[in-house]
This record gives sequence, C-alpha cells and structure tokens, in this order.
Amino acid sequence: MNRVGMTLKWFLFVWMAGVIWAAFLWIPSAQGFKGESSRIVFFHVPTAWVATLAFLVSCIASGLYLWRREPKYDFAAAVSAGLGLLYAVLATVTGAVFAKIMWGAYWNWDPRQTSITILLLIYAAYLALRSAVDDPEKRATLAAVYSILAFVTVPFLMFIVPRIYFSLHPDVMTNADPDNNLDSAHLRVLLASLAGFTGLSVWLYSIGIRIEEIRYRRRQEVL
Amino acid sequence: MSRWLAEALAVAAKDLRAEFRTRVALNSLVLFALTTLAAVSYTIGPYRLSTEDRPFLLSVLLWIVIFFAALAGLDRSFVKEEESHTAPLLRLAAAPTVVWAGKLLYNLVLIMVLMAMLVPLFCVLMGFEIAMPWRFAAVLAAGGFGLAVTTTIIAAIIAQAMTRGALFSVLSLPLLLPLLIFLIQGTTAAATSDLDTYRESLRAILSMAGAMTIFSAFLFPVVWRD
Amino acid sequence: MTDLTGIMAVTMTIWIGLFAYVYRLDRKVSRLED
Repeated sequence: MNRVGMTLKWFLFVWMAGVIWAAFLWIPSAQGFKGESSRIVFFHVPTAWVATLAFLVSCIASGLYLWRREPKYDFAAAVSAGLGLLYAVLATVTGAVFAKIMWGAYWNWDPRQTSITILLLIYAAYLALRSAVDDPEKRATLAAVYSILAFVTVPFLMFIVPRIYFSLHPDVMTNADPDNNLDSAHLRVLLASLAGFTGLSVWLYSIGIRIEEIRYRRRQEVL
Repeated sequence: MSRWLAEALAVAAKDLRAEFRTRVALNSLVLFALTTLAAVSYTIGPYRLSTEDRPFLLSVLLWIVIFFAALAGLDRSFVKEEESHTAPLLRLAAAPTVVWAGKLLYNLVLIMVLMAMLVPLFCVLMGFEIAMPWRFAAVLAAGGFGLAVTTTIIAAIIAQAMTRGALFSVLSLPLLLPLLIFLIQGTTAAATSDLDTYRESLRAILSMAGAMTIFSAFLFPVVWRD
Repeated sequence: MTDLTGIMAVTMTIWIGLFAYVYRLDRKVSRLED
C-alpha cells in the first residue's frame, strides 16, 4: 500500500470520526424535528445517495459491458451492485428509525420507502441471478440484461408513484427528508458526511474491483 | 414484415398447440388461480368487507391472484425448449426477434385465457361491482400485456441459468411491482368511476409495458444467442 | 444528553471497527496482488 493511499485512508478515518462527533455532540437539536431525529439525516441521506449512485454505476457499466464485452465493465457492475445493496439496507434501516421517531411508525409505504424497497429487491434479484450462472461470460451478459431491464422500471417509480400515491393516501407524510429546512451548520455537516461516505464507497469499490481482477487473472492462468 | 409476422405466429402456434395437448402451464395457472380464489371467497366472501374498502381490497386481491398464477405458470416457456433440446433447432429456424414475438404471443394468450376464466368468476364470487366495465377490461388487457412482456424476457434469462426454482419469481417481482401498483390503482378507479386516476394509471401502465416491450425486443437477441 | 453521547460512542465504535476491517482487507488484497 503506497504512501498517498495510506494517508488518504487515515484522513478518511479522521474525517468520518469528526462527522460522527459533530453529528451527535456539536450540532444542536434541530427545529421541526421530533426529539433528536435530525441527527439521523446525516447518515440516512448519504447512504441513500450512495445506494442510488451505485445503482446508476451498475446500470451504466452493464450497458458498457453489452456494448464492449470487456470484463472490467462486468466487475464494475457486480461490485457496485454489491455495494449498492449494502448502502440500500443502511438507508432503509436509518430511514425506518427516523420514520418511527418522527411519525410513530417504522414503515408506512410512503413513496420513498416504496422506492427504496424496490431498489433492494432489484439488487437482491441481480445478485441472485449472478450466483445462478456459472459461465463468466454468460453470467456477465445475463446480469447486464437484467440490470438494464431493472433500470427501465425505475424512472416510473421515481416520478410517477409519488404523484399518484397522494390521491389515494392523503395521510402519507409528504416530507420524508426535510433537508431544505437545514441551517448552515447542519448543511455543512451533511455535506461533510456526504463527502466522507462517498470517499468510503470509492475505497470499498476499488477493493472490490481489485478482488475481481485477481479472480479473473487466476482463472486465466488456469485455462 | 408480413413474413416476420407469419413466422412469429408460427412459433406461437407451435407452442400453443403443444400446450393445449399437455396443458402443463395452463394447469399451473388455472389451478393456482382457482385454489386461491376459493380460499379468498370462502374466508372473505361478498359480505365481510365494508362498502368503502371493497373496490380497493378486491382490486388488490384480484391482481395478487393473477400475478401469482402467472409466476407459477409462465416460467417454463424457454426452459422446456432447452430441456427437450429443441432450442438449437429454434435458433436455426427463426430470427431471434421472431422467437421473442412468438413466445410473447404465447404467454399473452395464456394470460388472456386465465383472465377470461378468472375475472368473471372473481367478480361473481366476491361481489365485485364495477362502475366502468369497459375501462376495467382495458386495464386488464394492458396489465396482461405488461405481465406477458416481462415474464417472456425473464423466462428467457432463467432458461440460461441453473434454475433454482424460485429464480423466475425473484427476478420478475422487482420489475412487476411498479406495474402491480398502477394496475391496482387503475382497477380501483374503474370500479369506483374515478376517471382522473383511471387515466393516469392507464397511461403509466401502457408506458411501462411499452418501455419493457421495446427494451425486451432489443435485449432478447443478446440473451438468446448462445 | 448522555443518551446522545452513548449513541455517539456506539457509532464511533462501529466506525473504528469497520475501518479496521476494511484496512486489513485492503492490506490482504495488496499482498495477493504482489
């Protein structure tokens, strides 16, 4: 591990430790939030953001794989899907805790919760498909196709479900993450948290890719 | 163009002929649907639900039965080709899009047969009163098509995998869930004469089905190629 | 208020543990690459 890499990683450690401290002990309680629930936002928003970003990366990589047929695109698709699943689970859990504190129930199928659930299902299905195919090229192809099909359904969720939902469920909470009410201190910590989580994901992603490349090289040696 | 259509119809016809001889998929579909309907009808029946809840709950139940029946019956449309070793022949005999269209048609017919049998029975047994019957039928048709398109491409995918029973359902569900949400809303709207919601839902259903059709048509050759 | 410190301590512990795990994983992968 080189000097620069090591420094960056330790910097990340200190950064995130700082974010955690700030989120709990430096930031005061926020207006308009019940209890201390505003602090969850610092962890919930970045994880949701990374989960969605990972999904995009996975879909784009899948498209690139079908176009170019280069293994590196398949690695990217697989690793970001795994990462995305992890972050989606975290986002769901933190979101549910937030919902419980703010509105009394862990789960009420509001549009965001519905969308993240479907994202979870897509990730899980994608990984299940990958594990069911032995041949690497076939696995990459089928997974890529599924990834694109999944991507087709997502826009309908993101934009249409919220609109229609409200006509049937008037008691559903409209503001799942009221980050537009945050003052500058909150905003700074949120952005810092976002940066930290992104840095962490990039690190995890690169490790995942390196593992895939090692596996690939080993297989090529055997053949 | 007409040559392509004729070939697709030929593929569908072959499958339908084989299906009506052995009735494997049809049996799964019908049996599942009837059993579930019997259970629902017996426990809930026409009297147990309050009048205001009825349209929504009955729509949900109807689509749950249709969806799960489809998941139970439509998984084998490509696997059976691989198993009986007719797949290579099919690859030689017809262009990929022809095979796709033929299989799509086949699945569509099966779903329509299921719906024709199930929906009237459901409405009668559960006392489902529909305010706008033609629009209700339109939602059913659109939903059936969306179902057929999605199950066709997923069936093609799993035929290439070491199918562990539930893989078909696992892969189909995330893609079908959004469709299901809109189908339920559209059906409820048709039952309650809510024209605005109906129009919105139908638009969503048709665009989803349309998008899935276009992408399936492009991606199927990739999956089908050996 | 002490509740908050408690939760912060838990979160910090999780972060330290996670970082240590990923760091070690990184090291292991580096060794495999050489």
